[in-house]
Amino acid sequence: MKGIKRLIFLSLLVSIGLGLSIIESMMPLPFIAPGAKLGLSNMVILITLVVFDIKDALTVGILKSLIFTLITGSVTSLFYSLSGSILSCLLMYLIYKKFSSIFSLIGVSIFGAMAHNFAQVLVASIMMNNFRIFSYIPILQLTGLFTGYFVGLTSKFVIKSLKKSIDKIFYSND
Amino acid sequence: MTKGDKILIVIIVIISIVSLIFVNISVFSYQEKFISVQVNGKEIKKIIFDSSLIGETVPIETEYGYNLIEIGDEKVRVIEADCPDQLDVKQGYISNVGEVIVCLPNRLVIEIKGMDEVEIDRISR
Repeated sequence: MKGIKRLIFLSLLVSIGLGLSIIESMMPLPFIAPGAKLGLSNMVILITLVVFDIKDALTVGILKSLIFTLITGSVTSLFYSLSGSILSCLLMYLIYKKFSSIFSLIGVSIFGAMAHNFAQVLVASIMMNNFRIFSYIPILQLTGLFTGYFVGLTSKFVIKSLKKSIDKIFYSND
Repeated sequence: MTKGDKILIVIIVIISIVSLIFVNISVFSYQEKFISVQVNGKEIKKIIFDSSLIGETVPIETEYGYNLIEIGDEKVRVIEADCPDQLDVKQGYISNVGEVIVCLPNRLVIEIKGMDEVEIDRISR
């Protein structure tokens, strides 16, 4: 019973991430830097990481990237989103586990945004064979700072109430 | 929000601004400049800015997609693209050395370079 509940929760998180990604792709931030995004779906990965575990967070992140590619139909963007979500997930896990006394969820989320930006620019420069793209990094990191801050803030509120209901669902006697 | 978060934010802001300034300084150290159009990492076109080219449009059609760039007075922009997000069109003009327009779906990079390389041919129509 617990396994099924867990499965349903994780698939719900994946679909929430997909919905957020679609909404996000409809409203880019063209005034700051091309390619800058809100990173709303990073929220889902962060929430999974905290409420569940690193394995589930990686699963959610990879599934979200794969299914989002099926929706948009652009295969090249799969590599960007996949590399970004895997690296940010690993770094967020590291920071959350080892340095949670120093950084709150906001710091964890900012680290995730940084890793996401870095991985995407790295993959883009490898695929295009042009390392000039790294000149985008400062402005991307600045926008990532703001979006990461708000993603962390939102996740904090979500996790607070989600943990309560998850305890109720998973540890009730059924 | 802990103290570590605040320190992290301040450090990132400082590093980003310093590197932004650094990028901008390296941009102004060139005199002559030209447009370099690269598809999939290979340079397929070099265009030197010239007053006779102002307002000209250059179609770039590759196996990855189609883009139309417009040359202005010491600046260049993409005015048409068949990629879904149109980010390259929304970016508008670029004019400084080192600035790039990137169209990821079409694997297109339009870069303004400083004249430190030889063997440049003019655009032919």
